[in-house]
Amino acid sequence: MSDTAPTARGRRQSPLFQLRGELDGRTRLMLGVAGVATLLIGWEAAARVLAGDSILLPTIGQTLTALQELARSGELWGDLGASLRRVGIGYAVSLALGVVLGVAMGSLASAEASLEPVFGMVRYIPASALTPLFLLWLGIDESPKLALIVVGTVFYNVLMVADVARSVPTPLINASYTLGAGRLTVLRRVILPHSWPGIIDVARINLAAAWLMLVVAELLAADQGLAFRIVRAQRFRQVDRMFALLLVFGLIGVASDLALRALKSWTSPWARA
Amino acid sequence: MGPGVRAVGDGGAAAKLRCVGVTKRFPGRRRQPGTVALDGIDLEVGENELVCIVGASGCGKSTLLNIVGGLEEATEGTVEVDGAPVIGPGPDRGMVFQAYSLFPWKTVAENIRFGLECAGTPRPLRAERVQELLGIVGLTEFADTLPRDLSGGMRQRVAIARALAPEPDMLLLDEPFGALDAQTKQVLQDFLLTVWQRTGATILMVTHDVDEAVYLSSRVYVFSSRPGRVAEEIEVPFGAQRGPLVRRDPRFLDLRDEIQDHLRTNVR
Ligand SMILES: Nc1ncnc2c1ncn2[C@@H]1O[C@H](COP(=O)(O)OP(=O)(O)OP(=O)(O)O)[C@@H](O)[C@H]1O
Ligand SMILES: [Mg+2]
Repeated sequence: MSDTAPTARGRRQSPLFQLRGELDGRTRLMLGVAGVATLLIGWEAAARVLAGDSILLPTIGQTLTALQELARSGELWGDLGASLRRVGIGYAVSLALGVVLGVAMGSLASAEASLEPVFGMVRYIPASALTPLFLLWLGIDESPKLALIVVGTVFYNVLMVADVARSVPTPLINASYTLGAGRLTVLRRVILPHSWPGIIDVARINLAAAWLMLVVAELLAADQGLAFRIVRAQRFRQVDRMFALLLVFGLIGVASDLALRALKSWTSPWARA
Repeated sequence: MGPGVRAVGDGGAAAKLRCVGVTKRFPGRRRQPGTVALDGIDLEVGENELVCIVGASGCGKSTLLNIVGGLEEATEGTVEVDGAPVIGPGPDRGMVFQAYSLFPWKTVAENIRFGLECAGTPRPLRAERVQELLGIVGLTEFADTLPRDLSGGMRQRVAIARALAPEPDMLLLDEPFGALDAQTKQVLQDFLLTVWQRTGATILMVTHDVDEAVYLSSRVYVFSSRPGRVAEEIEVPFGAQRGPLVRRDPRFLDLRDEIQDHLRTNVR
């Protein structure tokens, strides 16, 4: 017995392939960089293989040159400003409605009972199908675009915020009442702060839908804006410009995502995973 | 005099809390029969008395506490505090819940302060009171810690301090030490006795730990399981001044065995 070494018990798992495993910061960063690098290399390789006399897929270099050109001529800034303003205003309205109605639905049975069936139904009407109607009602300037962004995101915002508000544990609310809090205090000082990090997550996730609706709006009627500029570029077969603008969309997405994540961990340190 | 009316221990005159015929039926969902959680509970707690309720899991102990706290309504029966009917929650009845209920985004001090803010206590007084309570529960060094960074026993102490802050004259405790190890539990039991003697609060506490019930209370209500009824009411002869030595008292062991027997025969 004594000459055989005891066999180890259990099975050691590599953190890379462990379900729910935790990676250290460096490994995580390196895997992320590797992912992005794969995408870029794949893009560059495909562009070079497909390169012919008419460009259908620009190289990274060509795309960056086009982006520089757009920035130098000033078109980029005008388009960026117009699109950001539309999404900013439209999505802010949508979020405000989402928080007010969502928190009401998530905390008041009466609000839930009356609003749930309405939203449950209207939510299935594709917002983009309302475009012609909005153009007819509101003309072709900014208002139909804002309306589309609001309508295209508000239902998701309301229903998801309602879920967040519903998940405030009942013992917390009960404890507040027994400590002498009134309903308004509970709403303001318990339900809202507890829901806050969840609300930021909802805002972050649904922001993508706001950009989707922006594109729908700008494709139909606009004389400025990122999506408008893509359609223009297509008319002149400027694929490098189209790619430059798509890249801008991607960068805005990454930036807003990071910003909202930072806002969440800064305002709600207690909610970090 | 009604059914549950009796002279209570510790020389209390009128009952602080009186439950008469409290019945709670939860409606069933989708053709399922409902649950009768409590069936005609008669129970009384005197002024400045500490009373425990023991009973099997699911016999309605939490439900009764929630009804007394005003968080749920009895289907039948009356609950009176100082002779006035309970119609809702209020800071006169502090509660410590079975489930963890601290505000996770507030520090220890902020959690304790919440009740004082609701009461509109002036700022300087508030700070003083929070400091005092932090001292009582021995968490002065952890004033600025978030609940997530505390141990289970520390969280319960915060929950108790928070409930004590608005100076309730009645405390309702739902298995406050249920999830703790034996040592921490004993420390907190003695802590509770100290708090009780210092504040003179009336305490109704639910526990499934028979030793704890005998150690702490002047009377123990044994509930039968579903539907919850008062199966037995047992007087504990030790006075208000009791210490760890009581645990070795032969009467302590006898009482414990007696209650355990009642629990066994009244399960199911
Ligand atoms: N909101 C509710 N809806 C339906 N039934 C409920 C509800 N709350 C409690 N019950 C039922 O009432 C009974 C008593 O529940 P209660 O939580 O009061 O038990 P308990 O004595 O506190 O148990 P434990 O010792 O496990 O905490 C259980 O059968 C439970 O299923
Ligand atoms: Mg319970």
